[in-house]
Parts: sequence; C-alpha cells; structure tokens
Amino acid sequence: MIYVENLRKEFKKTIKDPGVIGSLKALFHPHNEKVIAVDDISFNVPEGEVMGFIGPNGAGKSTVIKMLTGILTPTSGKCTINGKNPAEDRKNYVREIGVVFGQRTQLWWDLPLRETYGVLKEIYEVPDDKYKKRMAFLNEVLDLESFITSPVRTLSLGQRMRADIAASLLHSPKVLFLDEPTIGLDVVVKDNIRNAIEYINKQENTTVILTTHDLADIELLSKRIVMIDKGKNVFDGTISELKSKYGQIRELHFETDTQNADKVLAYKEHFGFVDDDISIKTEGTGVQVRFNSEVVPVSEMLSYTLGKININDISVKDADIEEIIRRLYKREV
Amino acid sequence: MKRKLRIYFPFINAGLQEATTYRANWFFMILGNVLGCFVSYFIWNAVFLSGGNDTMNGFTMPQMVVYIFLMFLTSTLISSGGTYDIGEEIRDGSISMRMIKPISYNSTFLFQELGNKIMTVCILIIPLVLGVEICRTIFTGEIQFNIIGFLLYIISCVFAYLINFFFNICFGFIAFVIKYLWGANMMKNCIVGFLSGTMIPFTFLPDFLEKLFLFLPFASLNYTPVMIYMGMYSGTELLFYMGLQLFWVLVFWGLSKLLWRVATKHLCVQGG
Amino acid sequence: MKNIKRMLRMHRIFVSQEIKRMMEYKGDFIVGIIGFLLGQFFNLLFLWIIFSQIPSLVGWTLEQVIFIYGFSLIPKGLDHLLFDNLWSIGHFTVRKGDFDKYLTRPINPLFHVMVEKLQIDALGELIMGIALICVTLPTLAIEWSVVKIILILLVIPFATLIYTAIKIATAAIAFWTKRSGNITYMFYMVNDFAKYPVTIYNNFVKAVITYIIPFAFTAFYPANYILTGENPLFNIGLTVVISLVLLVISVLIWNRGIKAYESAGS
Repeated sequence: MIYVENLRKEFKKTIKDPGVIGSLKALFHPHNEKVIAVDDISFNVPEGEVMGFIGPNGAGKSTVIKMLTGILTPTSGKCTINGKNPAEDRKNYVREIGVVFGQRTQLWWDLPLRETYGVLKEIYEVPDDKYKKRMAFLNEVLDLESFITSPVRTLSLGQRMRADIAASLLHSPKVLFLDEPTIGLDVVVKDNIRNAIEYINKQENTTVILTTHDLADIELLSKRIVMIDKGKNVFDGTISELKSKYGQIRELHFETDTQNADKVLAYKEHFGFVDDDISIKTEGTGVQVRFNSEVVPVSEMLSYTLGKININDISVKDADIEEIIRRLYKREV
Repeated sequence: MKRKLRIYFPFINAGLQEATTYRANWFFMILGNVLGCFVSYFIWNAVFLSGGNDTMNGFTMPQMVVYIFLMFLTSTLISSGGTYDIGEEIRDGSISMRMIKPISYNSTFLFQELGNKIMTVCILIIPLVLGVEICRTIFTGEIQFNIIGFLLYIISCVFAYLINFFFNICFGFIAFVIKYLWGANMMKNCIVGFLSGTMIPFTFLPDFLEKLFLFLPFASLNYTPVMIYMGMYSGTELLFYMGLQLFWVLVFWGLSKLLWRVATKHLCVQGG
Repeated sequence: MKNIKRMLRMHRIFVSQEIKRMMEYKGDFIVGIIGFLLGQFFNLLFLWIIFSQIPSLVGWTLEQVIFIYGFSLIPKGLDHLLFDNLWSIGHFTVRKGDFDKYLTRPINPLFHVMVEKLQIDALGELIMGIALICVTLPTLAIEWSVVKIILILLVIPFATLIYTAIKIATAAIAFWTKRSGNITYMFYMVNDFAKYPVTIYNNFVKAVITYIIPFAFTAFYPANYILTGENPLFNIGLTVVISLVLLVISVLIWNRGIKAYESAGS
C-alpha cells in the first residue's frame, strides 16, 4: 500500500548570533547551514495495517509525515501510496489519504460543524447518496450527533478531535494519517478515540499511520512499529519483535518484611549489573525490580532473591513497551 | 523609582528584541509608507504648478515637501499599537489575568513599546532629519537647522506619543462593543489621519474648521510637533500649544484609568 | 471544461459559506464597510479642498480626477472582495504552518486560497467607486459607442487581475521568507500612484508604474480611454496583455514557492 524509499529532506537554516549585533549581522550577511531532518528512510506498509510511527522529539517524524501527505517535497527519494506519487500527481494522491494533525484543525472555525462536512463533500467530490451513508456511518462511530449543529469554536477538545477525524474520513481514504490524535485529551476520551480508530481499521481495512507520544495508543492499536531518531530508521518490526530484541527487561515484584531489602540484596554488586540494566523501587513492603534478563536469567534472579530475604508474594512480568522505548531513546540520544 | 525601572527594564529589552526579529518586515512597511509620501509629493507638486503662486495658504512647495516627510517621521515616531493589544485581551478574556499581576498593565506595555521605538529612532530619525535639512538648505540657500527647535520637536513628540498611547488604550476598550477590531481601528485611523493634519495642513481648511481642529486632541498628535519643527510657532503660541499637548496627555491618561476601572468592574459582574 | 465547471461550483460553495459566516457577525461587517467608506470619503475631501484652490490639476478638472479615482476603486475593490485571503498567506498562514491544510486537499491550493474568503469590507470601496463614476459621468461629455462599452466591460476583469497577480507573487515570497505581508503592503502603496492622472508624475515614476509595477493599467490608462477614446490599443490592449503576463509570472513564482514550503514545527 505505502512504499517509502530512501526518503531524505534537507532544510536550510540561518545561523544567527545572539543579541542586537547578531541580528544586524544576519541582516546583511546571512549565514546558512544545511540541516538534514530526514536521512534515508525506507519502509513499506501493507494494506489494513496500523503502523505506529515513533521517535523522540526532533527525530524527524513530522517531516516524514509531511512528505507522506504531500505537504513537503522530499529532497530525494520517493513515496508512493497505491502506486501514486505526490510529486507527480498531488491531487489524485491526496484523495487516497486522510490526515488529522492533532494540534491543528481543518474545520471551519466560525460555522456549525455540519457546514464543514458540506464543503469537504464538494472538495472531495463525494456523491450525495454516498455522503449520506458516510455521515451515518461516521456519526455511529464517532458520535457526532450531539454537536453537529454547534459552531466549531464552541466544541470541546475531545469533540473537536472526533469531528476532525470524521472530516478526514469523509472521502473514505485508503490511508489515514493521525499525528498526535490523543494529545491533551482525558483518559475516557482517549479511549473513545482509540476504539473508533480500531473499529474503522477493522471495518474498512483502512491503513493507519499513527504518530503519538502516548505509547498506550500504539500498544492498543498497532502491531507494527517504525521508530526513527535523528532522521534515521532505528527500528522496524512488530511489538513482539521489539520486546524480544530490546525487551530483555523483566519486572520482578515482591512483598517482603525484611528491612532495607534493596541493601540486603545488593543486586548490582552481586551480579555486576551496569547502570541501565537494573532499577529498584521500594514502596512500603512492596519492592519492584526491573532488570535485564540477558545479563542475569530470570530463574537465577528468582532463586537468589528467594534465598536472600523473606518473601510473601512474588511475581514476574514482561516490561511494558514504554520502558523499552524509554531505554531506546536514552541510548540513542 | 530605581526599583521600578528595574522591573520594567526586561520589557524594554523584549521590545527591542522583537523589533530586530521582524526587522525585514518592518523595513518593507516603512518603505511602503515612504512611497506614500512620494505620492503626496507629486500631487502637491502638481497643485503648486497649477496654482501658479509660490505660496499657498502660508506654504511654499519646499515647505510642503518638508511638511510631508516630517508628518511621516512624526507618525512613525508616535505610533502605538495599544488598541490591538488591549482589544485582543478583552476578546479572549485574558484581560482578567492582568488584574492578578502586581505590575501595571499600561506601564509594561509602554516600556515594551519604548524598546521598539529605540530601533525606529535609531534607524529613521537621522536619515530623515538629514534629508529634510539638506532639502531646506538647498531650497533657501542657507542652513535652517535650529537645535532648540529640534529639541522642542522631540519633547513635543514625546507628549504626542503619550497622547497617542493613552488614546489607543482607551479606544481598545471599544472591543467590548465592536468585535471587529480591524474594522474599528481602520475607521479610527481614517478619522485621526485627517484630523491630525497628516493629509493636508489645517491652513488649507475653512477658517472655523482650522480653529476647531487645532483645539481637538488630534492636532496635538502630529500637527503640533511638525509645526514646531518648521518654526511656525514661537513665543506664547509655542507655550500654548505645548501646554495643550500636556493637557491632552493628562485627559487621556485619566480616561484610560477610568475605563480600566469600569472594565474590571464589568468583568467582575460578568464573572469573566 | 469539466475543470472550470468544478471550479465555479467550488467558488459558489465557498461564497455561500462566507455569507453564512457573515450572518453570524453582522455588526462587524457593517463596521468594516463603513471603515472603508470613511477612508475614501477623506481622500475625496482632500481632493475637493485642493481643487477649491486651483482651477485644474495640470489640465485635469475635478470631475475628471474624481472619475479616475472612482474607476480605480472598481478593480481594486473587486480583487479585495474576492481574493483578499492571499494577504493572510504572507502575514501568518505560512509562518504558522497553517498552509499544510491546502496541500492535503485534492484541489489546486492557489485556487483554494483565493476563493476561501470573501472580504465584505471591500463593498465600501465598490460602493464609493460606483457612486463616484455615476456622479461624474454626466458632467464629462463622453462619446459612447457599443465597441467602447464592450471594451470597458472587458478591461475590468483584466485590471482586477493585475492586483491579484501582484498579490499572488508577493504572498508567495513567504514560502521562502515565512513572512511577506509587508512586501505586499509596499506594493499596495505603489498602487496609490495609479489613483491620479499619471501626467502629474515625472518620467521615472511614470515608467515604473507603467512597465515595472504596472498599476497604472489598473486605473489611469483604462479610465483615460473612457474619457478620451484615444489609443485603445495601448490603454485597453496593453492592460489585457500585461495582466496575463503578470498572472503567468506570479503563478510560476507561486508554484516554485510551494516546492520550497517548509511548513512549521518539528
């Protein structure tokens, strides 16, 4: 469905010395520097997949998304969706896609929400009968009925986001780009939006590309993750691959009546863990230990711990994706 | 006093920074306005050619040229953006945030604009005054520049700026009534432009209008400083018009305080 | 053909949206219209005061000058009414990254930007322009012919196009510099030269506003043809040619600009 090959984007950046004198200097003698925002990124996304696209701030995520949505022209490389290329045929290309930028709206600010859909219907040339069906469907999934006659500027953030997602789906795009669709929303609204995205993906086999800082979005919605940093591909694979590759982190949780359990245990000294490979949190009688199971196997950890102190209750679980990614970001930066 | 100044110093700096950041944009605006001056120049040139007399209503053509460019310099020096700033705050309700801050709104804004003005003064005043003086010297054959006149002009500009500043703040309160500030501001600019003599010297108007306009606050904005620079006022006349300027400064300062009080009460009642 | 039909349909849709929006803010639009009317009123007062002191302005009567002035408001007002949204491109749309929206939609972004807003304030200029023409026309002893009327009606859209083309080109500069609103403003100030008979200017200014920034073709030359009936090839013909040349140049600049557009944010 989506093919991205060797995508690259360079920006020119004016370098300015601080202060008034610097400003004046830049006015007469601007000094430019080339910044490579995206450097040779490639990936494919098959039809119907929900792909999580992640990376730390400034990694070049937005730049990639903007190239994929036809907003920015790549310096080199290309991307195609359904065989169409935005550089050659932008108009037909954008018919295939729907875009939601969480921080911006494409709704007509001063008019009742319904009017936006009326105009978008014309822009995307949706026939009347299809439009009616589509609105009924979107209304069912995103529950627009209660505010469709209100002016957009009066909508709450959650309502606005639902309305924006509906707007991006009106022309039944094959691919949906969601850039931070849950930003600033409360837990319940986040859940609603995730459910809606999942439902649309299942019902219509819409391919979804999702960027977000809330990793729960990714964990709940997508199987596949592409991660970039400093403009380069860092990881491309399923969540379970991510876990098996980087996720040797396990979490050991137990209750103990031994005082100063962490000191008694002294994992670091005993096993020779280095910095990132272990962390311990104590809360009352509960202790949580995160450790790298490649350095020390789980069984060894367990038997050592059980032998050293009094344990009432113990459990082991896989670290969540958030922990893995936190470690990945740290290592890369 | 010293402590007070220290509080406001960052605002001057911020204004200066802002001005240098958008300098290219600012420069084009100034260039556009200079072009406007040239349109006026050519019209007046044609008028003097058609009139046949060297002097019209007390102005010779060289004096007219000086008048046009001084008007432009003065309007740029005394311009103030208070209407938008306060109007926008009224519209989006953030004016209520002002009430909980321990420094005066008017002052922060005034100092920020002062920072902005520093750049205007540095860049504009020297070439324009130089140009005007060279012009006057060539036309009359002798140097006309008068340091006392120039200093009085600067003082008069400071008064004019203060009048404009407080007047614009007062006008900004119109946002409680008219939501479309851009339109309202445009109306205001048209009226002020004419009544302050920017388009045409008052001596060209019928007698009673000239007298009336001289007493309105708008004459104190552009007309008085320019007339002082050109040496049209002297002695008691000079004192009178500068006194009038001071009077209008106090009036609009008082009015802005009053409106502020009314507005904050209004906000409390509304619970905004 | 299908394309043009679609564009007209889109235009109608956007206009009807704008009218609905206006109904929400009626008072504001009245304020805007009055604002522009007032601006024109003071300009006229200025002309009237000047003419009370002189018999004619280097050979032009008050009626003729006012006619030219009134005519200049028609193309200006039309462009202002229909395509004013171009202003916002240079002022903030590009800088804030809001231009993204236009690029994700399957219609030409330039067309989309141009027709998206309707600037009702411009009615102030149009009303004044028409009123001035109507008042001065009977006093001017103009010879009329069918050809002349056709030519005049023909030239108005092209004169409007000169404004629009200059706005497109100057707005497009923002794609490189992020901000170009005041460049547009500067060009607009040049257009003040065109409101008066060009014979009052020296040769340099005349050459600039005829051949370099051809605002003289938005008002004086066509109006001069109406007044004198002279030189239709230059006064009307060149208006058409120049407007089309400008349009082509400005669209080329615009299209290159879109390629250079860098959006905003990370």
